Parts: sequence; structure tokens; C-alpha cells
Amino acid sequence: MTVAVLEKQLYDVLNAVVLKKMADISAISEATARDDEDVKTAMETLGERSLVVMVGESAMPTDEAVAALVTAAAKHYDEVRQDTVIAQVADKFEAVNQRFLEAMSAWQQVDVGGRKVANDHQDSSYDAKIIDKMDKLVSRLNRQLEVLAERDPRFGTYSTRFDRAMCLVEGGEIDYVSSPTLDSLHNIWFEFHEDLLRTLGRARKE
Amino acid sequence: MQQDGTYTIAFDDPGEYDRDMLGGKGFGLVEMTRNGLRVPPGCVVSTHACRHYLNEGGLPASLAEEVLERLAQLERRTGKTFGTGPEPLLLSVRSGAPISMPGMMDTILNVGLGRSAAIALADATGDTRFMADVLFRFHCMYSETVLGGLDVPERAEFDEVFAELGTDSDAGTVYDKVWQWCQDRVVEDVGEAVPEEPRQQLLGAVEAVFRSWNTRRAVTYRDLHAIPHDLGTAVVVQSMVFGNLGADSGSGVAFTRNPVTGEPGLYGEFLSGSQGEDVVAGVRTPLPVQQMAETMPAVYEELAAVCARLESTHNDVMDIEFTVEHSHLYLLQVRAAKRTAQAALRIAADFVDEGIHSPGQALQAVTAEHIRHVQRPGFAPDEVAQARDDGRLLTTGVGAAPGQVSGRLTFDPSLAEERAKGGERVILVRHVTSPTDLHGMIAAAGTVTATGGSTSHAAVVARALGSTCVVGCSALEVDEQASTVRVGERVLRDGEPVSIDGGTGEVFTGELSTTEPAEEHTRLGELLTHAHSSADVDVLAKVTTPEQARRALAKGASGIVVGVDDVLAAAGLLAEVSKTLRGGGGRLDTARLESVLVEQFSALLAACPDVEVGVRALDVHADELAEVLDSTQAFVEHPQLALPLGEPELIKAQIRALATAAATVDGSTTPYLVVRNLTDPAEAAALRATRDELDESDRLVVGAYVTSPRGALLASEISAHSEMLWLEMRVMQATMFGIAPRHLLAREPLEGYVHSGLLGTDPRQQIDESVAPLLDSVAEAHANHPQCPAGVRLSAAVSEPVAATLYSHGFRRFSVDLDELAPCVLALGKAAFAESGTRREQATNGA
Repeated sequence: MTVAVLEKQLYDVLNAVVLKKMADISAISEATARDDEDVKTAMETLGERSLVVMVGESAMPTDEAVAALVTAAAKHYDEVRQDTVIAQVADKFEAVNQRFLEAMSAWQQVDVGGRKVANDHQDSSYDAKIIDKMDKLVSRLNRQLEVLAERDPRFGTYSTRFDRAMCLVEGGEIDYVSSPTLDSLHNIWFEFHEDLLRTLGRARKE
Repeated sequence: MQQDGTYTIAFDDPGEYDRDMLGGKGFGLVEMTRNGLRVPPGCVVSTHACRHYLNEGGLPASLAEEVLERLAQLERRTGKTFGTGPEPLLLSVRSGAPISMPGMMDTILNVGLGRSAAIALADATGDTRFMADVLFRFHCMYSETVLGGLDVPERAEFDEVFAELGTDSDAGTVYDKVWQWCQDRVVEDVGEAVPEEPRQQLLGAVEAVFRSWNTRRAVTYRDLHAIPHDLGTAVVVQSMVFGNLGADSGSGVAFTRNPVTGEPGLYGEFLSGSQGEDVVAGVRTPLPVQQMAETMPAVYEELAAVCARLESTHNDVMDIEFTVEHSHLYLLQVRAAKRTAQAALRIAADFVDEGIHSPGQALQAVTAEHIRHVQRPGFAPDEVAQARDDGRLLTTGVGAAPGQVSGRLTFDPSLAEERAKGGERVILVRHVTSPTDLHGMIAAAGTVTATGGSTSHAAVVARALGSTCVVGCSALEVDEQASTVRVGERVLRDGEPVSIDGGTGEVFTGELSTTEPAEEHTRLGELLTHAHSSADVDVLAKVTTPEQARRALAKGASGIVVGVDDVLAAAGLLAEVSKTLRGGGGRLDTARLESVLVEQFSALLAACPDVEVGVRALDVHADELAEVLDSTQAFVEHPQLALPLGEPELIKAQIRALATAAATVDGSTTPYLVVRNLTDPAEAAALRATRDELDESDRLVVGAYVTSPRGALLASEISAHSEMLWLEMRVMQATMFGIAPRHLLAREPLEGYVHSGLLGTDPRQQIDESVAPLLDSVAEAHANHPQCPAGVRLSAAVSEPVAATLYSHGFRRFSVDLDELAPCVLALGKAAFAESGTRREQATNGA
């Protein structure tokens, strides 16, 4: 029996579950710009199709989830993948991505006489410069997200999340720069990168 | 309007100026110039001009003219001309607020690069590519910072543009082509062009600095930090110097001491005939700065003298960026050097020896984190050498997050999580990591990827987690389906042991054991001696085995503390002893417990001659014991076990065992027994009475281990009947918050919870206000009953604020985890110096 290709709403929800690995309904709603009820309904269907399992309040993807997404993305984004504007956005992203990761690394480690040492965040002017740089890079990405959001509104949700993380960082909550366990700048960026790659059927280079 | 009508000040103008007018950067440059340190000449556009701009919505009418006069002055001083040759005067324009804040325009370099200046620059340096590169950088910076461009070209695009020009193009053609290419790009991006005329570039940049005062980020920052919005920023306009004007020029970085090791003596790099960017870009390899002693001895001598002076003015190790232009030394940036933990400790110790810092000042420059860092165990060096000789080095990738760890090779992130939960150490190996691998990376002790560089997502995540990571092991063929990794002919399978070094990037097969690095080369011991003698404290270490006890004493512990249940667990006897304990029908059978304790404590006491040994009695409520004992069932059979003194025979057995063990050891070590969870003076009295029922030779010192607010509030009364009092901080704090004490040992759930602003105090980092009266009560108990010493037990990482608070409440006895001995002594030493500093100040003010 051939399994039906995921329809768009199910794709969005499953995509968010896979990206987050373990997430509650409200996080999925935010990442898909859909309301909780829709997400719950989608989650039930995904559960029936053995693509998602619920562990308490959190959803986790099954081993079949990624393959289902890859197949569905090929269908849903066939047009987007032919789109030269989008191809340009993706190429530009590679350059911005490199600079963003460099800024992340500079945030985490400082150069001491040629040796990398963990940043102890005691030098606020050093940190402020890097936050400035990240802010600029996020602004650049937001512009690309706008273009992507015209093809699929899901991409607009990343801007909202970036704004929130940036505000927290500016308010002194510097864990929101790179903590893997918070909705930090790096986490959002990393998820977007993965999402973009799957949308365009490209492979991750690093 | 300012009184004398001027908005600009040259670095070497006489007169009194303050930081509010010149901004932090400008003030620093004026100071340096006045102190005879040669910085490239320049001037400051004051905050008055900014305030005018903010109030009137435009630059002061007289500013342009004033700036041009300053330019003429600069031209005379530098022998260069603005906007043209033979040597063009280029400028850097930077913001400089009285208080530094994010969101402000940072820097634009090479302002003044019009066509004529660009051609002259190519002639003067004999390097058209250099000119094109400078032009490209300038255009990008101006587009981004002044015009707000978002689609700024990348570095790689410069190489493409330049490659298209062909090698025989003259400077004018190169200028035209590069400029036009950049200009088209920015016009498309923001609909505006970078001015071609040098004076317009300068004024545009100055205005952009003023404008950036009101960027969203700067405004937010001022709101948050209560910085007045009308303060305004100054602008620093400084001449650029060039290190690539021939063999008598160059650029470099110098540290007044080695920032990696802390070793005294000038340290750094110099590259002759180059601009700083060449070094950063790795285009050419610089030489040690000492090389200058041969190539330009006079300049080197000056540099060495300047470094010595800077270090003694700042009383700190300094990091100095400099350029030599036609044999003139210019300082571009001077700041306190960032340093490794090892260097921080050595420098602090050396500064005391050299009389630069008092011990108290030296301790302030060191953090508990520095100490934890240098004490972090690494692979045993001889084992690493042996592993290399034996061909166990599998491959070398890029070390992306430092650390040396061994673990089981695991390919599947979920399996990694599972194994880690089972207490195994895991090394996660992936071809490439994606966000879906995060849970595996969080669980693993280390991560290895076949792809990526030191800035890849995997590296960023690993560093944020504080775990070890090696990336870019391109020789690894990872087959995640088959759970194998192949390197050439070798195939490793899931579950095999591997060892990785996140510093060197090496991946070894098999386990490597770890050792603690030698303390002497960091000179930690000396600093701790200062801390110890200032704080005059006893810090005991919590241990469970004789080997740990020996280590603790070697590290300077004043004594040791042990828990009976921990000792049993470490010996693998906890389950068995608990079983026999309950096996006596209606009564507890303590015989086996007693004989096991005699054996275990004989060994332990033999390892600690002549020091204090505090033993905490078996606590049925301790997490591990509750599990092994199946406490719910045990309380049904023996309800008396649920309360501290419910079973006197159990207490007696432990005291007898300790006394017997002590008798087997030659030294004068006599342990004492404290009982946890006492809350009542009657309990303390009963404990003593129970002890007094024993044979005289068995009558050890006994006391209370207080964990509850009631126990603390009644500390005075309890102390009256006790010979020893300990207070457990973690349980006390947890009780006040109503949180299970074990949650204070982990990162989550508290980290996220505190972050969300749901708790005003993080009980792991600070002592809560509600606990302060309890501390006072315990401190008072000790004052009232000096025969009963009072100490505080701190679990896990010692937080500096917690140690300082306890010190200020008068506590001088502490017990900490073995690895936290040195951090705790440091924290107490700092607290002691801070307190005596405050006292001195009060004495001076009073006199």
C-alpha cells in the first residue's frame, strides 16, 4: 500500500516536531503559525500514521518521520525548487550563515595569543560588538525570510522567534545567544537552516 | 551652545577636558597622547556637537569648517594630504560615548579614499591590489554602517571582482572598476550611493555616528541601564597609519606577558611590510615580536619600554596593537589582555612576588572558574605517548571544543541518550549534525563529526554545552545505518571505546585514563596560601575513599568529612548491609553494619593521620539509601527508622565502629559522629546520653547535622547539648523554596525557571534573604556555645556570592566537595580581603 503524501498542514506540523525532536503543542503552534486546535488535530492524524508519538505532553517523531517529510517536500516545493529567486536566497544564505557561525564562535571563544579560550563574558564591549554583528546578520536573514515567507508563510515564524531571542539577549539574558536548550539565536538559526535544506532538497555541508 | 564655540579637540590640545565631553575612547586617546605614548594623531568631535545634532536635527553650522581646520592641522602633523597624494591622509571614524553601549555605529576605516587618494595609495605602497582591497573594505563598511546596507558584498566577491581586472590594469582603472561595482551594489540595496568626495565621506561618517545614538538597540540599552538619553556620543577622528610602506614599516600585536602561559617577558607577533589585516587573513605568517630587535632595534627598544610603562601604569598585563610606519611606532589599541586560566593564576602569583599587587588585589584577578579550569583532569601524558606509539591514533580532525574524554562509540543520538542515562560515557560520532541530534549531543561526553570546521553548528552547540568536540575528521567514513566507522582499513563498531581530545583534534581507539595536572606550574598553591592566611578558615573536603582522603589532604584540606552511607556505597556493600540490617525480625540487626564499618573506617582513618574527621551517620532519607533500602517498606517494618534518633542501637553501633577503627590506627585521629536532621535540643541531649551509655573507650564526640529551619532557629539550644554542629546549606535553601534538594545539584530545572523570571533568587548561586536570619541564629549559637564548633556544608560548585555571604555572617568552618576545595578557599580569601578593605576604609573615614 502506498502511503499518501503528507498534506501541507501535516507537513508543517511534522516538520516542526522533527526539528525540535521533542516539543509541546504551543511550541509547534508557534513554529507553524497555526492555532493549538489545528496542531492537535494534525498531531492525532500523524499519530495514527505512526509518524509521531506522544510522550506525556510532548510530541516526538518516529523513525519514519524524516523519510515522510523528504518525500512530501519534493512534492510541495517542486515549484519553489525551480524558482531562481529562491535559489538566489539560498545561495546568499550560505554566505550569511558562514558569518553568523563565525560570530557565534567569537561569542563563545576569544583569541588569546593565538589560542582559543572560552569567553568569560567579562568584557562587555567585546560582547556588545558581537551582539551588534549578530543583530545585523539576523536583519539580513529577515529580509531573506520575507522572500521565503511569500512562498510559504511558515518561514515568517522564524523572524518572530529571532525578535524575541534578540530582545532577551539585549536585556542581558545572554544564554539566548547560543544555548542549545533554549529558543536561542543559534537554535532558531540552526532549525531554519535545516528547514531550508529540506525545503530545497539540499544536503547539509557541515 | 558651548562657550568657546568649538566642537572639536585635538588629542594634543592643552586644557581640561572630561570624559562626558570626549567620550571614553576620545578621553583615552587624549590621556595617552599627554602621557607621551604615540598614537596616530587625530581629534575628537565632542558630545556637544552630538547634543546639538539631536536637539536641532542637524550638524552645527560651524562644524564642517572646524573639522576642515583640524584636517589641515593633521596634514601638517603627518606630512600627508587628505584626498590626494603623494601620501594620502586616510582617517578612521569611530563612535565614543561616555559609557560604551551596543547598537552604536562602530568604526569606519579608510575614510577619505577618493579617486586621487586611491591612486596615490597604490603608488605609495607599490601595490594596486592593496589599494583595491582597502577601497573594497571602505565601501562595504560605509555602505553597511552609514547607509544601513544589508546586502553587503562578501570578501570572496572581492577576489572575483579583482580577478576580472587583469594584472596589467593601472591604478585609475582598478579604482574605477571596483568603485563602480561596489556602487551599483549599494544603490540596488538601499537606493543611495557612497559619496566619492573625501570631505563628504568624513562628514557623512560623523553624522552617522550621531544618528546611531538613537538606534533601537542603543535606546533599549540606555532604558535598561538608566543611562540618560541626552548624554550624546563623541566621534573620534584619527589618522590611519600604514605598515605596508616598505621594509621600515610593519604591524603587530604585543602582550606585556605571555597571555597563554603567563610567563613574564614581551610576547607577540610582528609582520614587516604589512597591514594588520594580512595577519588576520593568514595571508602571511608573522614572526615573534623579538625578531624586531634585529630588524629594527631602535623601534623594538621603544616598544619594550612602552610595554613596561603601560604594564606599570595599569598594573595589569596589557595587549597592544601597533603599527610601525617609516620607523615610527604608533599604538593603535591598548587594553587589558585576555588570558588563559593558567596565565591568570601565574600572573596573579607573579604580581604579588614582584610587589605590583597586594595579595588581596591578586586574588581579585582570579576566579573560581580559573581554578576549576586548570584543575580539570586531562589524559595521562605517558598514556597518550604510548597510544601514539601503539598506532592507536585513529585520525586527527579539528579541535572545536576543548576537553579530553573517553567513552563508548555511539552513532545514534537516541542510543547515546539511553546509554548516558544508564551512567555510561558516550562519544557520539556523526557524519554531520543537525538540530535533530541535539539530545544526543547533550547526553554525550563528546561529539565527533566527519565534516565541518571550528565554526560549524556542531562546534557551536558543543561549546555552548561545555562538552568536548572534534569536527572535520574527513578521514572518517561514517556509516550510521551499519553503526560502523571506517578509517582506511580499520573499522570500529558501535560500543567500542574511543578517546578524543577537543584541543588537538585527535581521536584515539581505546580508553585513556585521566590525571589531574600538576599544580606548581600554575602557582595556584601560592595564591591559596594568601587566601588561607587572610581568611583564616578551616575547609574540609567531603570524601568517600582512603584514596580521595589522601588527595584531599595533599590539596590542603583542613580535614575530611564522610557519610556512612556513601562509604558503604563506594565499597559496594550498601545493599548487603541494608538487607542484614532489616533481617533481624522486629529488631534491627546492626552486627554486620558494625563489622563492615570497622573495616572501612580503619582504612579511611589510616589515610588521614592527625586531622579532623567528621562522620555523618547513616541517613535513611538520603536519596541513594532510600532506594536501596526500599524505605517505604522499611518504615512499615521499622517505623522508628524514619526519625533521626528512633533507633539508638543504630547510633551506638556506628559510634562503636568508629572508636574501634580509630584504635587500630596509630595516629591521633579521632573521628566524631554527627546525626542528620536533628531539630530539637532534646534530640541533641539524647544523642549525648546514648553515647554516654557506651564503654568509656568508645565515647566519641557527637553532634548535630542541621538541615531544617527549625534546627537552625534552635541552634543555640542544640549547641548547648552538642559538641559539634554542621549546617547543610543546600537542603536548607531547598526547604525554604519547597524544592527537592537534588534539583539544586543540576542545571535544569532551575536554570530555565530562574531565566523566565519566576524566581527572584537562584538558590544555587545566592543565599536567599529568608535564610539570612537562620544563618544569624547558627552564628549566634556558636558565639554562645564556643565549645561547639559550627560549620557549613556546601554541595557541588561553590558559588562565590554564597561563600562571601557565609563569611560575612561569621562562618569560618566549611566542608565542600573534593574538587571545590581550592575554589572555596579562593572565594573565602576574596571575601576576607574585601571585608578588611571595607574595615580599613571605615577606620580611615572615622579618623
